Amino acid sequence: MKRFLFLLTLTFVSLGSISSQAVEIDFENDVLPILENNCLHCHGEDEQESGLRLDRRGTMLRGGDSGLAVLVPGKPESSYLIDVINHVDPKRAMPPDEDKLPAEEIELITRWIKEGAIWPGQMEDRVEQEIDHWAFLPRRTEFKHDTIDDFLNEKLVAAGLGFSEPADPRSLIRRVSIVLTGLAPTPKRTGEFIAAFEKDADAAYQSLVDELLGSSHFGERWAQHWLDVIRWAETNGSESNLYRKNAWMYRDYVVNAFNEDKPYDQFIREQLAGDTMNAGPATGFLVSGPHVPSATVGAEPSARRQARADRMDEILQTVSSSVMGMTVGCARCHNHKFDPISISDYYSMTAVFQDIEFGSRYPEFPNDDPRVRRESELHSELEHLRGQMRAKGWAWIEDWKGFQEVHFPSRTVDSLRISFTGRFVMMDEVEILQDDPREQDGLRNVARASLGVTLSENPATKIEGMSAENLINQVYGAKEFKATSPKDSPEKPWVTFHFPEPTQISRLRLSSNREDFLETDYIDDLHNIQYGDFRLEVQDESGKWQPFATTSAMKQKSSEEQQRKAIQQKIDEIIAVMIDEGPQPAFVARFVEPVETFVFARGSPESPRDRVFASAPSRFNGELGIKPDSPGAQRRKAFAEWLVDSNNPLTARVMANRMWHHIFGSGIVATPSDFGLAGASPTHPELLDWLADRFIASDYSVKDMIRMMVMSRGFRQSSAPSESGLAKDSSAQLLWRFPPRRVEAEVIRDNVLLASSHLDTSIGGPSYRIHDVKQRYAQWEVVDNYSNSTWRRMLYQERMRRVDDRIFTAFDFPDCGQIRAKRPVSTTPLQALNLMNSDFVVSQSKLLAERASDEAGDDLKSQVERCFLLLLQRSPTEDESEAAVSFAKSQSLDLLCRTLINTNEFAFLP
Amino acid sequence: MTSNTNPEELSPIGRSMLDRRGFLGQSGMALGGLALSQLLARDRLLASDGAGPIRPLIDENNPYAARPPQFAMPAKQVLVIYCPGAVSHVDTFDYKPDLYKLHGQRPPGIPAVTFEGPTGNIAKPFWDFKPRGESGKMVSDLLPNLAGMVDDFCFVHSLTTQTSAHPQGENFFNTGFTMEGFPSFGAWVTYALGCETEELPAFVAINDPRGLARSGKNNFGSGFLPASFQGTDFTAANPPANLGRPDAFSPGADRASVALLQKLNAKHLQHFPGDADLAARIASYELAGRMQTSVPEVMDIANEPAHVHAAYGTDSGTDLKRAYANNCILARRLLEKGVRVVQLFNGSDPSGGNGITNWDSHSDILKTHAMQAEIMDQPTAALIADLKQRGMLEHTLVVWCTEFGRMPFLQANGTGRDHNPAAFTCFLAGAGVKKGYSYGESDEFGFKAAVNETSVYDFNATLLHLMGLNHERLTYYHNGLERRLTNVHGHVIKDIVA
Repeated sequence: MKRFLFLLTLTFVSLGSISSQAVEIDFENDVLPILENNCLHCHGEDEQESGLRLDRRGTMLRGGDSGLAVLVPGKPESSYLIDVINHVDPKRAMPPDEDKLPAEEIELITRWIKEGAIWPGQMEDRVEQEIDHWAFLPRRTEFKHDTIDDFLNEKLVAAGLGFSEPADPRSLIRRVSIVLTGLAPTPKRTGEFIAAFEKDADAAYQSLVDELLGSSHFGERWAQHWLDVIRWAETNGSESNLYRKNAWMYRDYVVNAFNEDKPYDQFIREQLAGDTMNAGPATGFLVSGPHVPSATVGAEPSARRQARADRMDEILQTVSSSVMGMTVGCARCHNHKFDPISISDYYSMTAVFQDIEFGSRYPEFPNDDPRVRRESELHSELEHLRGQMRAKGWAWIEDWKGFQEVHFPSRTVDSLRISFTGRFVMMDEVEILQDDPREQDGLRNVARASLGVTLSENPATKIEGMSAENLINQVYGAKEFKATSPKDSPEKPWVTFHFPEPTQISRLRLSSNREDFLETDYIDDLHNIQYGDFRLEVQDESGKWQPFATTSAMKQKSSEEQQRKAIQQKIDEIIAVMIDEGPQPAFVARFVEPVETFVFARGSPESPRDRVFASAPSRFNGELGIKPDSPGAQRRKAFAEWLVDSNNPLTARVMANRMWHHIFGSGIVATPSDFGLAGASPTHPELLDWLADRFIASDYSVKDMIRMMVMSRGFRQSSAPSESGLAKDSSAQLLWRFPPRRVEAEVIRDNVLLASSHLDTSIGGPSYRIHDVKQRYAQWEVVDNYSNSTWRRMLYQERMRRVDDRIFTAFDFPDCGQIRAKRPVSTTPLQALNLMNSDFVVSQSKLLAERASDEAGDDLKSQVERCFLLLLQRSPTEDESEAAVSFAKSQSLDLLCRTLINTNEFAFLP
Repeated sequence: MTSNTNPEELSPIGRSMLDRRGFLGQSGMALGGLALSQLLARDRLLASDGAGPIRPLIDENNPYAARPPQFAMPAKQVLVIYCPGAVSHVDTFDYKPDLYKLHGQRPPGIPAVTFEGPTGNIAKPFWDFKPRGESGKMVSDLLPNLAGMVDDFCFVHSLTTQTSAHPQGENFFNTGFTMEGFPSFGAWVTYALGCETEELPAFVAINDPRGLARSGKNNFGSGFLPASFQGTDFTAANPPANLGRPDAFSPGADRASVALLQKLNAKHLQHFPGDADLAARIASYELAGRMQTSVPEVMDIANEPAHVHAAYGTDSGTDLKRAYANNCILARRLLEKGVRVVQLFNGSDPSGGNGITNWDSHSDILKTHAMQAEIMDQPTAALIADLKQRGMLEHTLVVWCTEFGRMPFLQANGTGRDHNPAAFTCFLAGAGVKKGYSYGESDEFGFKAAVNETSVYDFNATLLHLMGLNHERLTYYHNGLERRLTNVHGHVIKDIVA
């Protein structure tokens, strides 16, 4: 059982062994004067530039803001001090603006460090840093109260306030329905509730809450909140802002998780390591942030390294902000200024996710998933047909749309050459497959650098920066390998794979742009093959390359020879069906081989320093208990277990607070994704701990927590203001009233559709689109944001990063660029214009008026009343009715509906 | 007022903010759409630098109301002319005689591969340079009209950026971060200063006639700031979305609708006396009504005198040039009306049908830069001259910029120049900046910044300074951090301030 450290103490002890043989350096006389003359003016007792002191051994061991150890006893090569005095990086040269220290002084300091950095009297020095920030300390376990209301009341009384009267039933049903499901109640349900409420308010409300928690719209509503936090979207962002194929599978996973009341700890485990739990789509969580696809990063290796580091940072932002409620991004370049996250912690966390790459894979599903079953049926048919081909000793090509497979009789080779017949070749990846029953699909890719495979290519056709080595780098996308024949040259491109030992192979899988096929959609001219025909060759005894299979011959024979043609056709058909009906690639992360992880000094991948291993932040007892070289999934699982450990001081508090935030409009901690020192203090710290405690005790049942919150008097009270309340606590943080608030974009849109009876309430599946099918290099343009193909809940509107939907973006709908733990609520004239004049509102007003007329008969007054009921769940007052009827008479019922849609009452939670 | 709240639970700043919010709420002023939490960021943590955040006080009833700058500066408004695609500095404003000497050669130090791939030889400028104006500043023939105005310009020749890719470069230049989702420069200025007019949006983005630039809305978005501060995009040809009254309704019907709406809202407000959010929303409908009149008025450039049209070039050249020239006239009219920030784009992501989209010139730069310059030069020069002639440069800062430069050597194809993040040129003009001045230098090839290297952070810090804003103190709390346009970097280039 892990233990979390609570008095967080950091201790640095000397690690170096003391050498006694060499001529001993006298620190006081040899080393200290150098420091005094050159360093201590800026890094001493009076001034600590960059947070660094060099007048104490302990502070040298710790280092400054950079997070790099200035001194590692016995290891000058790891000591940052040595780098800077040697001017390794001219921008970080010390002493600044002066000449280098004399060589003999540098040598002396180097030797001093090598010999253990003996500093008489300070060898046991340590730097202690105590942290007593509430959120990092253990939760309380004993509580004064046992209900939400008692905790709230205590604070209210202390402030000279009290709860307001209970809310009227009409307001209450509208409020709780929107909070729990995002949808207002129907007039019928409202009427039933009001009648039942008058008989037995508690029973009526209890059963309403149960009904709403049981509704499948509950999951839609709460998924929306979660997706905001992790800035999930269905496009990449960046230049081409490409569509992420089947990314919606993750959205559906989240909807279902809330609907099934999946325990929150399991929800976290699956999102981090669902690939090992038959919950493949859940890992869409890890790649929810934006990224720049390889094609637009550019060809420079340093730019590629930077882009990878940026992607890792997006992953860490997602995990830390959503689950831990902490911002760790600062520690990418230096120790966190406020919070106990060091630069080593940051990079140790990147080691956890080192096997994750932004991209697609075929997500893991349970075996009883319909697509999985279908695939398995088709696969056995396909294997049967392949067997027939193999039995004849034939070689053939299969077109899998995103890639080709070339099958040939199994052979064992030392090396394999692909000789192209065309003069220009562009490819992104080649896999060479070996039969291996140990692998899940019976195949093993042996074209991997980690297995010792090397590549060579025709030097005459080589293009600098587009080397054949990129063919096995597991990077998909354009601009990986290119080769071209010089003008008038007979030379044509070829690539040779050299295996470290004789290797059995039977299949090739190759592509020009697999990234496009796997990852995107809705773009013309995707993934065209750009390498033409080729020969597969091996060396004969004389060293000459001899072909054993050629694609042109395979094509010819498969179209000419009767028997073979028939089998090939069947194979092609099955593959086509399989692509359609079998599992599909989805943008829910792909896996790569984890590389060694290093601290990047100042955040630059060009300055790798100490190697680090997967762990959580050290001051939260982040040791994960796994081997340094453990596989990626194991690291992620271990990290998930660390997150959900009941002693983790953050996880339960953070989620309890999120629920509170979405229910009451503001969290107990008003900064839901920042529980660090720069975040807000909790208004009710004991209550928060009590909630977290209940949350864990309920086995992390989100529905139980939410039920408890909406059952409270704090939630069920009136939202009417009082003078004393406004004077003492204007934003009602203490909950002397239920604070009214403007509803989100989704609530406005969904409820207009609901009122007009045109909301398609089906759950899940591919998103509806309001955009055009664009060129690769173009911006998405809204072409239809109102007609019937869009009449679903807005959760299912394709979430396009930084695309203005021309109506609801103005209502603070997020651009999905950055974490959005809470949406700002702004009020602008553009919102008014959108809600008065958009095609959506105008057309829905008409439909709503039609519905009201249909349902209310010919009497205009009844029709008007019906409009009020459908949109606001209440009848108009007498003078409202009078004004509205006279308006509808002189104008139209359409216009009345449009006006009601624009009222404050419609836009605010009562 | 919240003195009864347990003091343990709120930081001193938090308490003072609560008090302030209570006070402001009652006096009809509140801190905008900014929730309390966003104000609770521990100012004391930051105050250790001796300079805590200065938060704009935003009137909830009108988030666009004018707010004072942090210190007095001449510039009240800003026009940003953004040229996506990367303008070649060595072919325009950054004269490098050594390129003539080394033309066709491949001196050591040229990297084998740059952004798009393998590199070729040094190429002399594709257009001849001549001394211009009284200052004798060397400018090429590519931009003859702008060249004639160099005595009004303040060049920065030593700019560097962090990326060689356009979208990240656009993001970095316009939002201070290469990543997505950060507030744009215009949003920061609008958040700080509001607007001098209530009848128009505070921040208008005029996109290229061909469409949005590569980073799309991110270039003028509000990021995590409230949506009120995002740029409203429209052009001389296309009004803002949903501005116009739907055809189905008559003007009278619209007026009657608003009257009924306000009546219903007023009645609703009776149940919530003192709720600023509701009152703000009522006010927003009044503002919207005013915009419906004022925006078409400001877009009505047909009534500009013929000589103005002639000067801007709305009657000459290609369709794209004419459309861009109209946008330039629109920009001037918006500034005249008091719009705080106008961001004018000269280049896009989608193609306009003539085969080019923006300044990007990987092949045949001679043709593509010339086509783009033909669109940009005359209208832009006319716009700046017009502002000057009307005295508007006294209080308007003009910024001409692009995301990076281009290489002094060619790509392997021998006809285009690749991206150069290590040296490029932008210029400023108007309120608060020196005239006929050049700051910083690139090396003898224009390959890397050499003298007074200026990061985009420095450049943006300077722009904010010129608007009377301290880039280190104009902050917004988001997700654990007091965010700034300049992140944790940037130094004001004092040398270019007049």
